[in-house]
Amino acid sequence: METPHYVAARVQRALAEDDRTTELGIRVDVRGEEVYLRGEVSCDERRHQIENVAREATPGLRVHNEITLVEVREPGEEEHL
Amino acid sequence: MREMRIAAVADIHLGEDLRGHYRKKIEGIERRADVLLVGGDLTRHGTISEARVVAEELSGLPIPVVAVLGNHDYHSDRNEEIVDLLRDAGITVLDDEGAVVPIDGVRLGVAGGKGFGGGFAGKCASEFGEPETKAFVRHTKEIAERWRRALKELDADHKIVLSHYSPVKDTLMGEPPEIYPFLGSYMLAEAADAEGADLFIHGHAHAGTEKGVTPGGIRVRNVALPVIKHAYTVYCLNGDHC
Ligand SMILES: [Fe+2]
Ligand SMILES: [Fe+2]
Repeated sequence: METPHYVAARVQRALAEDDRTTELGIRVDVRGEEVYLRGEVSCDERRHQIENVAREATPGLRVHNEITLVEVREPGEEEHL
Repeated sequence: MREMRIAAVADIHLGEDLRGHYRKKIEGIERRADVLLVGGDLTRHGTISEARVVAEELSGLPIPVVAVLGNHDYHSDRNEEIVDLLRDAGITVLDDEGAVVPIDGVRLGVAGGKGFGGGFAGKCASEFGEPETKAFVRHTKEIAERWRRALKELDADHKIVLSHYSPVKDTLMGEPPEIYPFLGSYMLAEAADAEGADLFIHGHAHAGTEKGVTPGGIRVRNVALPVIKHAYTVYCLNGDHC
């Protein structure tokens, strides 16, 4: 079996360099045959694409998509400097 | 002097899939702020079609918009065209330079650009060894030098530095320390501290924290969208009655 460390590195690179994702801020953890994706993105479409790219990069492993959607909120309170 | 309400955001990473979404969130911004600063990573891949979405979302607002590009906006090597496109849409784009935005007779000076990495004092790269390393460090050094000049030449009542990369470690808290050198450089802070500024706005560190301060005491705010989680944050300068 490939060392989890290198699998994680490959997924991370794929997510950054694949045109469908170009995501630099996703955390990838590999434990045995399980791949965990964590982070935040702004729409569901992007969340799915990240999962697709990660799956393609890890044939035979199970990908768990734990990425959360961040809803951009209306502006909040101002800060006085 | 009248208070100045600065709305700021970074890393909006727009694309076709988000068309119209961001605009909806900033409707009515003129009631809350006098100017909108956007700290780079406007797009995801730095393509022209994404830049058009950015122009649509940010143009035609009742308040001035000042922006810089981020590393994502350089990805397709179309950065210069993107700058032109945004400028044509009425957005002030800073590419290692300064601009004065008049707001009700008060002159707000904004200087900056994309910035770059290299790390922070004591744990930073230096211009030594392989040409690739030297080029990396020199890029940041030259940027910092241009910002220093731009800040010095700004004739304004308030000065703000607008950057994509971070000037300090404070606002990177939450990011893995191993990647700090790719998130910012102390040289950006040094340039600001040398000439003085009221506020340093940046983005890029999506997992970082909002608030920090330069060694010289300039307030630093990381306004990356995933950090502030709001369409923008408003900072009031000279806030006796803001
Ligand atoms: Fe970003
Ligand atoms: Fe960035």
